[in-house]
Amino acid sequence: MSEMIEIIVDGESYTAEEGSRLIDLLIQEKIKVPYFCYHESLGADGNCRMCMVGIKGQKRPQIACDTFITKDMFVDTKNDTIQKVQTDILELELINHPVDCPVCDQAGECSLQDFYMDYGLHNSKITISEKVKHNKALDLGSNVMLDQERCVLCARCTRFTDKITHTHELGIIGRGDDAKVSTMPGRKLDNAYAMNVVDLCPVGALTSKDFRFSQRVWFLKTAESICHGCSKGCNIYIDHNKLKYKDDVIYRFRPRRNDDVNGFFMCDDGRLSYKELQVNRQENILYKNEELTEDEAIKEFKNKIDKYANNTTIIVDANLYTEEIEAILEFAIEIDAQLISPLKIYEDEDFKDDMLKSSQRAANYQTIKRLNIANSTSTKSDLIINFNHPSEINANEKISFLTHKSDSLELIFPIAAFSESSGTLVSEDGITGKCQKAIDKNNPAPTIIEWLKKVRA
Amino acid sequence: MRDCRLVSRKFDIKNSFKIDIAKEHGAYKTLDKAYALKPLEIVEIIKESNLRGKGGGGASAGDKWALMPQESDKPSFLAVNCDESEPGTFKDRQIISKDPHLLIEGILITCHAIKAKHAYIYIRGEYKQYQDILQTAIDEAYSDGLLRECDITIHRGAGAYICGEKSALLESMEGKRGHPRLKPKQKEPEWFFDNPTLVNNVETIASVPFIVQNGAQAYRDFGTEQSPGTLLFAMSGHVQNPGVYEAEFGTSMMEYINHFGDGVKNGKKLKAVIPGGVSCGVLTADECENLTLDYEALRSIGSSLGTGGMILMDEDTDMVEALKNILEFYHEESCGQCTPCREGTGWSDKIVAKILAKKGTKEDIDKLFDLADVMNGKTICVFAPSVSVVIVSFITKFRDEFEAIL
Repeated sequence: MSEMIEIIVDGESYTAEEGSRLIDLLIQEKIKVPYFCYHESLGADGNCRMCMVGIKGQKRPQIACDTFITKDMFVDTKNDTIQKVQTDILELELINHPVDCPVCDQAGECSLQDFYMDYGLHNSKITISEKVKHNKALDLGSNVMLDQERCVLCARCTRFTDKITHTHELGIIGRGDDAKVSTMPGRKLDNAYAMNVVDLCPVGALTSKDFRFSQRVWFLKTAESICHGCSKGCNIYIDHNKLKYKDDVIYRFRPRRNDDVNGFFMCDDGRLSYKELQVNRQENILYKNEELTEDEAIKEFKNKIDKYANNTTIIVDANLYTEEIEAILEFAIEIDAQLISPLKIYEDEDFKDDMLKSSQRAANYQTIKRLNIANSTSTKSDLIINFNHPSEINANEKISFLTHKSDSLELIFPIAAFSESSGTLVSEDGITGKCQKAIDKNNPAPTIIEWLKKVRA
Repeated sequence: MRDCRLVSRKFDIKNSFKIDIAKEHGAYKTLDKAYALKPLEIVEIIKESNLRGKGGGGASAGDKWALMPQESDKPSFLAVNCDESEPGTFKDRQIISKDPHLLIEGILITCHAIKAKHAYIYIRGEYKQYQDILQTAIDEAYSDGLLRECDITIHRGAGAYICGEKSALLESMEGKRGHPRLKPKQKEPEWFFDNPTLVNNVETIASVPFIVQNGAQAYRDFGTEQSPGTLLFAMSGHVQNPGVYEAEFGTSMMEYINHFGDGVKNGKKLKAVIPGGVSCGVLTADECENLTLDYEALRSIGSSLGTGGMILMDEDTDMVEALKNILEFYHEESCGQCTPCREGTGWSDKIVAKILAKKGTKEDIDKLFDLADVMNGKTICVFAPSVSVVIVSFITKFRDEFEAIL
C-alpha cells in the first residue's frame, strides 16, 4: 500500500493513496465529473475524453481516469475551460446520436441524458442534419439487443468480454464515425454473464431483451436484496412496480455492487431467476386439493401435530432466511420434532464456474450448517412438515408450507417468497447479507414466521 | 547544392535490391565494425549524432534507444515502422524497393545495440509489391548467413493510417485493432506483448549504417546544429518533376523545389505548400520564400517538417476543395477511439462539404475553429491535433476563398 497523501480538489482537501487514479477519488468523494468509458471493474481506456480536469502545472486539461495522484496535486473540476471542454465533447457525442429518448429504454438511467442536463444545456451549434446511420436493432444473443446508433463507443462491453469473461465475442468494427460495436464474425454473444453488458452500457445501446419495452425506469421501485440462485450471495436490486388495479410485479434483477461478494456483476441465470417468483405460485390453503379457510387449516395442523407427537420430522429449505430457519428450529424443539435439511439435492456441479456461480444452489446453507441441522435424507417419522424444501421424502402424512404449487394432495400452506419478506442470508463464503422486502402483493401469503405464530396461538 | 546521398546512395544503381549488387557497392560493410563495438557504444554514437526520427515526429533516436534495457529477463524487440500512410509521403518505399539491404544492415546494427533477437517490419498492406522485394532481400540475407544473430519478420498491415502511430502499430502487430495506447507517465520503451520494444521509422534505421561507419561527426557535418544530417525529402502535387530526393536539413525550400523539382508544374505560380505530409499546417507561397527545411524553421512558423513530403499547390488550386480532400481522408481514417477525433473529423468534413455546396454560413466557419479547438490536445494520440492544425491553417491563411462561396 502506498502512502496516503493530501491533494486539493476545487479548493477542498482530500486524502488519497499516492499513485491511485484521480477518477476513483472523484467518484468516491462524489465530486461530479462526467465519464462514459471508465468503470472501476474495467479500468481506464481513455476514449470518451469526458472526465477532463485541470491539473495545476499542466498546460492542457487531463483525463482524470488516466491521472495518477501525486504529492501537491491541485485539481480543478469546475473552471470555465473545463466546463467548455465538457460541453464541447458532449456536443460531439450527440452529433450522431439519434436522440430517440422517448422510445429508448435507457431513458431515465442514461449517462448521456444526465450529462446533458449537467453540462450540455446550451444552444447547439450543430448545423448539419444528416447523421451516420447504423443498425437500430441487432440481436447479439443472450437476451442482449444492440442499437448501434445510440452507442457512444465507450468500449465497456467489449472490454467486459475481453477482460472479465475472456470470451471475446464483442469488438468494434469500422473506423471514425463509422465505428460500431458488433459481435465477431460468425459469433453470438454467448456467455453466462452476457447480460451484464446491459448494466455496463452507459447509454441505450445495449438493452435487455427481457426488460425492454416493459417499464419506464422512473416508475420502478427498487429494493436491495440477494440472489437466491446459488449460495454465492450476489447482491442485487429488485426493480418492481405495482400498476393501478394490478399486482406488484418484479421487472428485473440488477447486480448491486459488493466488492466482498460479487463485485459489480451477477450471472444471467441469477438475473432471470426473478421470473420463477411470479409463476406457478401456491396461493391458497389446500387440503386434499380442496380449499380450506385459515381457521380450518390451523385446526387440521394442530390435530396432526397432536396425533403424531414424538413422531414428526420437519424438513427445512436451505434457501430460507436465517430468521425463518431459527424460528423453525425453535418450533421443532417445542414440539419435539426431528429437524433435517437434506443438502445433496441442491448440489449442481454443472452450474459451477470459476466466477460467481457456485455448485451449492442453496442461498443459506451455511446457516443450516451453523445450526447443526441434520443433513439426513430419510426419516422414520409418520408426519413430515416440509418448509419449502424441494426433496420428495414421503411419510404417512405430510404438511407443506410452499411458495410454489406442487402435486401433493396433503395439507398445504402458501408462504411468501424471499422477495415478499425481509431477512438475512449467509453466503457460502460466510458473508452475511440483508434482504429488504420488495414486493407487496394484493393478496400476500403469510411468511413462515407469521404462520408459526398463528399455529401456536 | 552539395551531394548528400547518405541513404539514397544506391538508389540509381541498377538492380541494387539484389544482394550481390548491393554488396559490390558496400552493403553490409559496416557490420564488422558494429559487431566489434559494445551495444552501449553504438547507442552512444547514435546519441552523439543527434539522429532524429524520420517518421515525422523528429524525436531523438538515441534517446529512444537508450530507453531500451540492456539487461532484462524479457526479450527485446525492434519494430520498424514502414506503415508510411501519410499522404504526400513515399520515401520509405524507395528504400525498401531500391536498397532493402541498407535497411537490413541498419536493422542488424540496431538489434545489436538494443540486444534484440527479433525485428519486425510493419509494412502497410498496400505496399505488396515493395514487400515482395523486401522479402526477397531478407531471404537473400538469410541464405547469406547474415541473419544468424537476429530474425527479421515482415508484418503486413491491413491499411489503416493510424497504424503508423507507434503504439497503434504494436497493437496491430499483437493482432488487435490498431488503436493508439494511453501514453505512459514516465519515459519508457514501447511494449510488444509486454516486452520492451523500439519502434523506429525505416529511414531512421537506414541512416544507422552511415553513422556507425563514419562516426557521429560525419553525420553532423550535414544539416543544421539542431537538425543534423539528411532527409529523403519528397515532392508531389503541382511540381514539374515529382519524386524523392535526399537533401540535408537546412536546405532552402524554394531552392530544393527548383533544383530537384524543376519548379511548379507548367510554369504556374506557386500558391501553397503542405510541407511534410498533409498533417502539417499549410504554408502560403510567401511563407515558403525564405524558408529552410529543418524542424526548427518549420516549427517557428506554426507548421512542422513532418516526413518532409511536400505537396505543392499552384495558383489555380481551390483551397476549399483541397481542405475537403484532406478532411475526407481524416474522416475515413480516424480510428474512432476518442470522441473528439471520431466525431470531430466527420463533423468538420461535413461542414466543409456544406460550404463547398455553397450552403455555408459565417457560423460554419466559426464552428470549424471551435471544432479545431476541441480536437486539439484532448485525445490519446496526435491525429486530432494534426487535423486541428490543418483546419486552422487553411482557414486562417485562405479565409477569403472560404468566405467567397458562403
